[in-house]
Amino acid sequence: MLQYVLAGLALGAIYAIASASLVVTYASSGVFNFAFGAMAFSVARFYYFLHTENGWPITAAAAVSLGMFAPALGALLYWLLFRHLLLRPPLIKIVATIGVSVALPPAVDLVFGKLPNTTAPGLAPVPLTVFHPFGATVTMDQVVNYLGLAVVLVVGVTVLRFTDAGLRVRAMVDSAALSGLSGVNASRVSLGVWAATTTLAGLAGILVAPTAGLSTDGMTYLMAAAFAAVVAARLTNLPAAVLAALAMGVFTTVVQRYLDPESALSAQIVPSIPFGFMLLFLLYYALRGRVRDEPAGGALDRAIRVEDGGAARTAPRAATPAGSPHGHRSLPTVAKAAGLVAVAALPLVLDEYWAGLAVTGLALSLVLLSYTLATGEGGMIWLCQITFAGLGALTAAELATTYGWHPLAAVAAGALPVVVLGVVIGLLTLKLGDLYVALVTLTFGLLVQTLVFTRDRFYNYGQGVAMPRPGFAEDDRVFAYLTLAAFALIALFIVNFRRSTAGLAMAAVRWSEDGARTVGLSIVRTKLLVSAMAACIAAVGGGFLAMNAQAAMLDTYNVFGGLVWLAVLVTIGSRSPVAALVAGLGFHFLPGVFQTHLPSAWAEVPVLLFGVGAIMVAKDPDGVLAMHARQLRGLVDRWARHRPAASPAPLAATASASEPTGGERP
Amino acid sequence: MSTTTTLLSVHGLEVRYGPALALSGVSFDVPEKGALAVLGANGAGKSTLARTLSGLVPPVAGRVAFAGRDITAASPSAVRRAGLVHLPEGRGVFPGLTVHENLRMALTAAGAERAGAMDRAFTIFPVLAERRRQRAGTLSGGEQQMLGLARALMISPRLVIADELSLGLAPTLVDVVFESLERARAAGAAIIMIEQFAHRALEFADRCLVLQRGTVAWSGPAGAAGDEVLRHYLGAAETA
Repeated sequence: MLQYVLAGLALGAIYAIASASLVVTYASSGVFNFAFGAMAFSVARFYYFLHTENGWPITAAAAVSLGMFAPALGALLYWLLFRHLLLRPPLIKIVATIGVSVALPPAVDLVFGKLPNTTAPGLAPVPLTVFHPFGATVTMDQVVNYLGLAVVLVVGVTVLRFTDAGLRVRAMVDSAALSGLSGVNASRVSLGVWAATTTLAGLAGILVAPTAGLSTDGMTYLMAAAFAAVVAARLTNLPAAVLAALAMGVFTTVVQRYLDPESALSAQIVPSIPFGFMLLFLLYYALRGRVRDEPAGGALDRAIRVEDGGAARTAPRAATPAGSPHGHRSLPTVAKAAGLVAVAALPLVLDEYWAGLAVTGLALSLVLLSYTLATGEGGMIWLCQITFAGLGALTAAELATTYGWHPLAAVAAGALPVVVLGVVIGLLTLKLGDLYVALVTLTFGLLVQTLVFTRDRFYNYGQGVAMPRPGFAEDDRVFAYLTLAAFALIALFIVNFRRSTAGLAMAAVRWSEDGARTVGLSIVRTKLLVSAMAACIAAVGGGFLAMNAQAAMLDTYNVFGGLVWLAVLVTIGSRSPVAALVAGLGFHFLPGVFQTHLPSAWAEVPVLLFGVGAIMVAKDPDGVLAMHARQLRGLVDRWARHRPAASPAPLAATASASEPTGGERP
Repeated sequence: MSTTTTLLSVHGLEVRYGPALALSGVSFDVPEKGALAVLGANGAGKSTLARTLSGLVPPVAGRVAFAGRDITAASPSAVRRAGLVHLPEGRGVFPGLTVHENLRMALTAAGAERAGAMDRAFTIFPVLAERRRQRAGTLSGGEQQMLGLARALMISPRLVIADELSLGLAPTLVDVVFESLERARAAGAAIIMIEQFAHRALEFADRCLVLQRGTVAWSGPAGAAGDEVLRHYLGAAETA
């Protein structure tokens, strides 16, 4: 037993370091760092580069990677990105950090080269010394983990409690505005925080590499597990996060004592323990009442927080500036129609390879429409739409292959159980704040992925479950038109829904739940309606993706892949169906261009570009499409202004006649 | 008007919250050691003016010069370091920090003044010394306000902006607020006082500025701002 507890503490120590990093960044900057895994990977990769590839001794390599590289990386990311996120809405914060997590690993690979295998040494000399306290076995790696956590805790507590710098960080957590008024240079403190927390991320990454592998996947899993501890600590309670992380580590290893290591079940249960943990805590919070995740800060901070210019929060966009002669909301209708015609022509003019990409892109844009509805319109940051798509695909494939249903009927029927799931998740997240909703849905996705998608029966060595296309659409071209028709249908539905009473209710709820309640709207009904519709669209889209690939290949529906989808969509624009179309096509065309026309070393560049695009969103939250539409509109306006227009006379300041005297007029 | 040198000079200030215009064309001067009362109804832009001067809210147009320096686009920390202390509306304390830590934060930009400042705070408000290990968020409203005031009194700022400090306080504590600001003034600070108790503010100040819907509706010597002015701009209920 002691053996398991000691191993658990070693694992928990890494989780604890990771969750400490996440909590400190969130509490002090309001940014929940979805790029943690990528940052941990980058630092660990640099350590590997120094230590293993260049033969530096452990201490020197660790000192340079943790003492110089990690802080520099954190400072650079702060300067490039995180400082712009301060006043952005939650969606933009999430998407921008996802952008970093997508862009950073390929950038690191480009510089240091892709690793052929992921085994890497930690901070202990290899071969590992083994100790035998009280009959249990402890390796040097585990001892280093204990030491690492001890050092982090001692240094962290000392700095936060007893130094001026620590006091300033805690003051910033309390009220950034008041710290500014006290003479604290907020950007310098934030810079320090990001440098320090990146170092923690790097330390966690180096420590976890020997067991989880030096790969983005390993680090991402570490991050997701640390999320659980952070949620248990309600995002900001540092001691609680550390304790929860340790408990989770111990629980994970102790459970293994009672599981048959050979059984398939335990292979699924063990990795899903952190997610189970998180789900339990979130359910507990959800049942206890509202859980908000407003960034820290006092009344003053709220008073000066100006309306964000972001699409993700400024929901009802019906209000065009009065007097503007061109009140189009996004792209002019003509441009939209022209775009659709152009897309419709694609399968006719392209050769087989490109036509294939176009169809896949079209099917993807179907799924993206569910993000448009849930996130763009409904303001709900759901990170599990890809899981809905996967479940829809899986159910449809099972129905079509095992029970011989007509593929289209199977797709439609496959959406039904997903709708139920969507409603259940909608109910659970009803009272949660944006960030919690994002985390619940992410966790749900990870759970489904480890418990369902990896089952041999469904996974089938990566082949998935076969999914035929309908008999009349075997040909790529016909199938492309079928998909395009489905897309047009759903897009039309979304546009009409937006204008309907229910759609207006959705906008109202999104704008202000309390306000919506006072005019008698049912928050529950509105949110559940949106959840159900979005889940349905995702599932149908998943079905089309499966028909396109002729199999429900479950690797396609990896939750973190879904984060990239979301990031790409938000980059293009999260509120218009056209953006979904552009994003879906671009997502498949761009890598195609790189694959066919550029050297293979550049294969990672598109991913990097998607990431960079998402980072750009931090500066222009409306997305690229809206930005260009705005520029286009500006041109049209300028052209229109050449014609003389009677501008309304400025409102004269009318002074009242009975003005008191004795004062000087300003 | 005033023979002394100008400490703060505001010219053509315009502030927007998103599309909403909060202040426009606001201009005034505050001389060294002067006291300006800023009055106005709810939503007139008084707090916005304070926040803009201290750098919390960036202006869209206009110019603010403080002690001969242009601080129009300066950050709150730079403004504070130049010698302007803004005591914000509400409770201007860090609720999660202890009383002692709050006072330490107040000394962030104090430099050489640090020595003896802590003792000064505890001499002026002995109750703070008793509660120095207590979290500020657990203090009573009056004690929190004293802690806030101590931020300005433990050092010698050149200008103090006091935003509705007496709001919601018991009458004796309102006296404490006015006495404290008087003390700051005696120590050589200029004061901009935003106040609901218009008459008391006018007694305290030597000049008065009335804001109405974001513009300066009236300005002049505090003595000239009689009942007529107050009733006209603030309404009868506000002149208590």
